[in-house]
Amino acid sequence: MLSPRAYARQRFASWLEARLPLADTVTLNQRNVYILPTRAGLMLAVTLLVLLVASINYQLNLGYLLTFLLAGASLVAMHVAHGTLRGITMNIVASHAIYTGDKAVFGINIQNQRKQARYGIALAVQSSEQWVWTDVAGQSSASVQLAFTPVRRGLHRLPRVVAQTLFPLGTFRVWALWRPAAQVLVYPKPEINPPALPGGSQDSGNSQLSRTHSLGEPDDLRPYRRGDSRKAIVWKKAAKTGELISRDSIALQQHELWLERQHTGLSHPEQQLSRLCAWVLQAEVLGLRYGLGLGDQDIAPDSGPNHQLRCLRALALA
Amino acid sequence: MTNLQFKLSHLPREARDTLFMLAVIAWVLLPMLGELPLWCGALTAAVLLWRGVLAWRNQPLPSKWWRLGLLALATAATLISFKTLLGRDAGVALVVVLLALKTLELRARRDAFVVFFLSFFLMLSNFFYSQSLLTAAAMLIALLGLLTALVNAHMPVGQPPLWQAAKIAGGMTLLGAPIMVVLFLLFPRLAPLWGVPGDAMAGRSGLSEQMTVGNIATLALDGSVAMRVAFEGSAPPQSQLYFRGPVLASFDGQRWQALDTALVQRSRDAQLSVQGPAVRYQVTLEPNQKPWLLTLDATPSAPVFPRQRAHMTAELQWLLNQPVTELLRYQAVSFPQFQYGPTTFNASLQPYLRLPDGYNPRTLQLARELQRTNPPPAGTPSSAGAAQLANARTSTEVGQHWVDTAMVRLRTGGYVYTLEPGVYGRHTADEFWFDRKAGFCEHIASSFVILMRALGVPARIVTGYQGGERNALDAFWTVRQSDAHAWAEVWLAGQGWVRIDPTSVVAPSRTGSLARLQSPRGAMAEALLGNISPQVALNLRAAWDAVNNRWNQWVLNYSQSSQFKLLESLGFESPSWEDLIYVLCGIVVTVSLAGAAWSVWDRHRQDPWLLLLLQVQKRLQRAGLSISANPTPRQLAEQLQAHFGDSPSEAWRGWHDWLLRLETLRYAAPATGGSYRQQLATLQRELRHLRA
Repeated sequence: MLSPRAYARQRFASWLEARLPLADTVTLNQRNVYILPTRAGLMLAVTLLVLLVASINYQLNLGYLLTFLLAGASLVAMHVAHGTLRGITMNIVASHAIYTGDKAVFGINIQNQRKQARYGIALAVQSSEQWVWTDVAGQSSASVQLAFTPVRRGLHRLPRVVAQTLFPLGTFRVWALWRPAAQVLVYPKPEINPPALPGGSQDSGNSQLSRTHSLGEPDDLRPYRRGDSRKAIVWKKAAKTGELISRDSIALQQHELWLERQHTGLSHPEQQLSRLCAWVLQAEVLGLRYGLGLGDQDIAPDSGPNHQLRCLRALALA
Repeated sequence: MTNLQFKLSHLPREARDTLFMLAVIAWVLLPMLGELPLWCGALTAAVLLWRGVLAWRNQPLPSKWWRLGLLALATAATLISFKTLLGRDAGVALVVVLLALKTLELRARRDAFVVFFLSFFLMLSNFFYSQSLLTAAAMLIALLGLLTALVNAHMPVGQPPLWQAAKIAGGMTLLGAPIMVVLFLLFPRLAPLWGVPGDAMAGRSGLSEQMTVGNIATLALDGSVAMRVAFEGSAPPQSQLYFRGPVLASFDGQRWQALDTALVQRSRDAQLSVQGPAVRYQVTLEPNQKPWLLTLDATPSAPVFPRQRAHMTAELQWLLNQPVTELLRYQAVSFPQFQYGPTTFNASLQPYLRLPDGYNPRTLQLARELQRTNPPPAGTPSSAGAAQLANARTSTEVGQHWVDTAMVRLRTGGYVYTLEPGVYGRHTADEFWFDRKAGFCEHIASSFVILMRALGVPARIVTGYQGGERNALDAFWTVRQSDAHAWAEVWLAGQGWVRIDPTSVVAPSRTGSLARLQSPRGAMAEALLGNISPQVALNLRAAWDAVNNRWNQWVLNYSQSSQFKLLESLGFESPSWEDLIYVLCGIVVTVSLAGAAWSVWDRHRQDPWLLLLLQVQKRLQRAGLSISANPTPRQLAEQLQAHFGDSPSEAWRGWHDWLLRLETLRYAAPATGGSYRQQLATLQRELRHLRA
């Protein structure tokens, strides 16, 4: 049984969810823009009351004029404030995959279709209070970058975004909530200083781990190119000539690497994934062919950026 | 100089905003500088200047001990100046200092708001001292300045030029103006919610209930308007325009005051009878903080005006139950020919013969000599002093004789009218009659009444305004404080109280001619008007007065009765303040409904550009294209390209071109080719000719 307060809060949260459909593009209108007076707005109301009482008590017709003009301008300011957000269209520009612990940065494009500029619009991830301010000129658009730090790996929805403005007088806070539909993929955090890759020529203790092939001819050499792995470099020749000479990749004596959880020698599943992640990155840098076995999902050995992404994605979602 | 300009245009944003804010505050405070104590103005100016220098040099703000110290100093000075911290003037002085000190503490957003709201309040306090058109214009500029500063403070990105904020503030004020007009017209005018502090009445010039030498001299230099009069039909000659104020009959040697008994007497004691043609007129009385209604002599029936009741004293003065604290308009009917007061001598006239002992011995001596050397004409039984005294009480001729004697002496005795007679000593009448022979209306009237009383003729002083200036543009008469005047009334047996203006024989120009005494001009007016011919200056002043009068009639004089008149013209039969509320609520509801209707319409209104895109999308879909959700024109063009493949037909080219132009129009509208709407219309026309 919920307490009435918790029940009300839950109802409010679900009502808000229902009002806030997931969308990558949102156009703000009367239904989803909220407005409340700020503390300064309440101060202004008190000031207006004082002015009115002074006008009455001293019978100042000019005081009435001043009070009412200020009240009128404040009322117009309320509409201006609401109009600053009403009618803008926001959409998510892009979000890149990141590793756990890194900041996920995503861009938001704000479009202003009306002729007049909109000033002082602030965007932030909800309850982060890290506002990013921008103006949007008439019939144009502006971009801002927001960031958040996901705590876990996996596929995450972008957090709720709050757009707000205090323009023009700071007497009203106008805001809108937005739940972007876009998701960001968070890979496991790669282990720092991981142990050497399992298998390989150096520690071929376990024949199951690596299948060694001897491919190509030993003389298939060429000058060093950027990106060649260190293993490809013919160090003996380099010592003699002073130039770096690489074996061509086909000629490289390759290990087909198989990465699995139990090879990590760790028991905690997240730590296992973290080490596997580091290994995947390492193997890619070394230009090895590697496969990933996660029990329910196996990725056949291959290499290249697409393969790496496939592996990282599998690790993120494992 | 160019260096300064360079620095001004390259100030960091914070410094620029602070300097602008300080300028606006200075503008708000400037008009009331003259009303503040000297220390207050000096301290405020110094603090604002100091803050400006700090902003200019980008130096840190002083510690809070400075502010606390200065605040303590200002509080002490206020206590010394006003003997209190409460009350209107003391409060205003304190708030002014507080505002200046607050500028030294602009740290948080809240501090800035405190400065704004104090400034709004001080704008209103300017109206305590003046509600003129100029003050109103100055405060309108101040309001725009403050709103500009506020708007600018809420444009946090980059360094937007101030004119941008000013434009927005101006737009908001302009849109707010109709709200102001509606509220001003219909907000019920309430009586003061509680007693106005006493010093609300202080410091404003006007007639006084007492008269000491030199008092009216100050008034004569004051060109501010006391009242405006509009006559129905032709106005009486200027020399007959005596607007009656307080009657002073009790003299203690230094000071003339109203008789203690004057308030006790009832109006029927006046025994007023009027004859001849009536003069009808409307008076717009500036607030004089006194319960006096100024009317022409003599006004037998109460002036007509809203809400309050007036009553007449036995001395013919019309009084209200409360001071006139706002502009007051009333209708009155006066009769220049009238008679009032008892026709035979009775005890009630005794106070008008009383003179204090030990004052003006030479004037008393003069009276005795006149009675001996220049007795009233034969035909009246005259033998000894006592008998003659009785004669003045019973015979019109005796009284008239003494009046004539004194007037002849004034006319021929070398007496001069001057605004600068110097400081008189203890025996003011003696000094006037024998030594200085110079003075202005109050010296003359006072000396005349003292002599009359010494001669046994009941006499008293009447104060008020004499004359006025007709504005050729709107035919209103303007009576200024400089028209304040003091004259005499003597009681003549059989005739009652008769007006005698001794000043008119000393200085005929003072009464009855258009040439007024010019008050010395201020340095500014000298610089502005110095080279203008007097006629042009007079015309300018007339035009200015006419504008001011309209301002007074329409804005400052707008009262509950005006509101009721407005409602009557709207069809209410006997309006009350509840009706005002109803009308106000009606307007609010109507406007809200209209706003709601507009917002519903606005929600369903589609952007014409989006509509066009939707139209294209549908046509292409019908033509068999598979289209992703919510495509942009460019995406559509790409999909078109994918559909047609590498065989671009003429039709495809047309579509492609059209879609890209649609995109250009939205995101980078070309400067040529007409307005946005025109270009959109062109695209719409072309769409019809495209074939799928």
